[in-house]
Amino acid sequence: MNCKKCGSPKTVILRKKDYYCNDCFMVSTNHKFRACIGKNKVLSPNENVLIGLSGGLGSTVLLDLVHHGVSLENTKKLRITPFFIHLFDDNCKGLAESIIVQCQKYNFNVYVVHLAVYMSSNCTLPEPNCIPDVEEKETIAFRDMLNSMPPSAATDFLLKIKRSLLVEYAKQLKCNAVFTAETTNTLAINFLSNLAVGRGSQLQNDIGFCDARDEYVKIIKPIKDISNEELKYYVDIRQLAPVYYSDIKKSSMQSVISAFVSDLQGNFQATISTVCKTADKIGEHNNNENIMHERCVICESDLQAKDMKLSALEATNLSRTVSFENTQLKQNLENNADFLNNFDDINFSMFPLIHKYLCYGCSRNYSEMSQSALPLHIQKKLNL
Amino acid sequence: MPVPCRGGCGNNAVLKRPKTGDALCKECFFWAFETEIHYTITKAELFNKGDSVAIGASGGKDSTVLAYVLKTLNQRFNYGLNLMLLSIDEGITGYRDDSLETVKQNRDDYEMPLKILSYKDLYGWTMDEIVAQIGRKNNCTFCGVFRRQALDRGAAMLGVKCIATGHNADDIAETVLMNVLRGDIARLKRCTAVATGSEGTIPRVKPLKYTYEKEIVMYAHYKKLVYFSTECVFAPNAYRGHARALLKDLEKIRPACIMDIIYSGETMSVKEQVSLPTQRICSRCKFVSSQEVCKACVLLEGLNKGLPKLGIGKSSKAKRMLEEYNAKQAEKETVLKDVIQDLNDTSISDDTGHKNRKKDSNKENASNGESCNKNNCCGGSCRSKTNVDVAASNKKLDMLLEQYGLDDNTSDKKSIKENGVTDTNVSDENGVTDTNISDHSDDETPFNGQEEDDTCSSACGGISVGF
Repeated sequence: MNCKKCGSPKTVILRKKDYYCNDCFMVSTNHKFRACIGKNKVLSPNENVLIGLSGGLGSTVLLDLVHHGVSLENTKKLRITPFFIHLFDDNCKGLAESIIVQCQKYNFNVYVVHLAVYMSSNCTLPEPNCIPDVEEKETIAFRDMLNSMPPSAATDFLLKIKRSLLVEYAKQLKCNAVFTAETTNTLAINFLSNLAVGRGSQLQNDIGFCDARDEYVKIIKPIKDISNEELKYYVDIRQLAPVYYSDIKKSSMQSVISAFVSDLQGNFQATISTVCKTADKIGEHNNNENIMHERCVICESDLQAKDMKLSALEATNLSRTVSFENTQLKQNLENNADFLNNFDDINFSMFPLIHKYLCYGCSRNYSEMSQSALPLHIQKKLNL
Repeated sequence: MPVPCRGGCGNNAVLKRPKTGDALCKECFFWAFETEIHYTITKAELFNKGDSVAIGASGGKDSTVLAYVLKTLNQRFNYGLNLMLLSIDEGITGYRDDSLETVKQNRDDYEMPLKILSYKDLYGWTMDEIVAQIGRKNNCTFCGVFRRQALDRGAAMLGVKCIATGHNADDIAETVLMNVLRGDIARLKRCTAVATGSEGTIPRVKPLKYTYEKEIVMYAHYKKLVYFSTECVFAPNAYRGHARALLKDLEKIRPACIMDIIYSGETMSVKEQVSLPTQRICSRCKFVSSQEVCKACVLLEGLNKGLPKLGIGKSSKAKRMLEEYNAKQAEKETVLKDVIQDLNDTSISDDTGHKNRKKDSNKENASNGESCNKNNCCGGSCRSKTNVDVAASNKKLDMLLEQYGLDDNTSDKKSIKENGVTDTNVSDENGVTDTNISDHSDDETPFNGQEEDDTCSSACGGISVGF
């Protein structure tokens, strides 16, 4: 079997049926990255871009692709000024160290920031290329906060924390764009996870090419068209050393979805690409584009609700209303002929602060956590 | 230790509601369960006073509970609905035959008229026969597509305003997941709607849309309702099974996720620039379709031509299969023509062969006032089932009358309808024979007219219509 493109002996097999040689494969992967940035036209020349590194497969390749792009000296040069950041957690200091080493190989500086910074919102820039000391009080508070929620909510919340920290540091570094390294596999899993936590209306931002929820900083996923299968070949060919690490907590819905997707992909090779193609067709609901709507305090999603006669949100609230302390309601219903009038003050205890401060998904998380564990700056915004 | 009911009634709870986590006693659960469905019906304005509503009844837990609850609420809140049961007999031995007995039990228990339509009579095939053709894969595609249309046909025969189906919250969440996995954006968009149906079609409503499967089972259990609880013998191979398995795993972790998935589906918007298929009317059978020719007609044509895979997979493949098939037919025809010429029988010189059969069908079609284009007609295969002489068809008519009559308590008005209805069935099945009886048919429902205009349509149809 020979390469589909040039006919030289194959070294790479994709989707069990497509053969490539190393050279053609590298060209096409590089092209996928550049085409993704190029066709979406969100970057202006020489823009400052903050690149979030996790040390994983996608991040390792993204770092290599960016390095390759900016070191070109012809018309194809990638015209961005890159800054690098790694958000780390107590239990993976080793990962942070290996990312510093990775970046030094390319002569890049990387800022290493502890996730617990989220608790204080004190986003001062640390010295590059070293692991900062963090106050123990903060790290404990951070850990307690995540531990106060069930694993599914914690996994979802962690994504929102990272997003908000990336945006904050991008502002510090005067970057109008952030690159993150989600691959098609990650996005397929995130898509289904988003559905499972009620974030269907936020899909375009979470799964699409560009997250434009923040007014100033756009979060871009430039390798969203590249699959893990391709990345593994890339890493092998370039002899890179990714550190495999997953944020997904055990026995969470996200871990079930992740196992499910890779399992189904094994049997149906089109699964992941189909899911991602579906994601591309989903947009944002918007009645009036000119008005800035209220945004969720935690994830910055638009709080304007789609106009519906009846939704699952209302149905859940109704279930709570008829299940909890319902003796008064029973009497009212018997005396009052107009049935719907009795439900004017529906019980919202299942979804605290929804629509006013929080979106559906964040409100669900909030209801499942110890609320006093939230960082003070968030509590303040929620008027607690 | 007994848990007190969250309703505050002082009783001990018997179950914990998966949707909210609240523990309720039996009485409070019944009340909450029914009030929620009543709320869905009134808030979403599913019915109008005085409507006739057909309940799609399979004999399973969902439709049994739906029938029971609708009957209860209809009385309690004066909906003024005229409820009836509509069942489809797919012809699956060991599954549907038994479950139909349950439906008959429901009919007696809830005192609702029941109508049963069978695939065999509508399409000429039972699911057992179809599975024998297609194998164990893809057979849910046939069953689902045919049932959708069969329900439409049944509803039109009954003259109802809408069809209520027993889809529960789990089913809808599962469908959302499945449509994402299959990349079916059009269905993804409409699968969460509580009422569906474009103009000119009979709307379908899902009063149990926000009701958990678990609670339905509990409700049926505590109310001691009779239902049939065997899974379809062909279902284990369906793709839907993957989505179902995922949902069950997710539900174990966070039971509320079913509502969250439905909420996601409801609030998700499709980008404006994405072109979606528009719902229209199938050019052959005149039922709702998103294509020129509906899936049911394509699948049926595949079965009748011995190409059961015709409607499965890409339409380009279907086209190729049809071309090959036509080429083969043409080959046969040239051979036939040669034979004919040898015999010096110059009277039949039309370019499509199929001599004897063709001649018959032309005659019959002419008498039917239908212009069956020689080149485009079913290629003769449709006649294989329809060469029934008048006497035989009368026998068939008697049989169908027996089968299709609304069981017992048939009022005068209904028996008139029944006549009309039976005619259409016959025309469906036999294609041609309806000319014998349509004279005395009572054209009460518009459905009759439609069907007769297009007798050839779903049973055979022309080849040339594009997919």
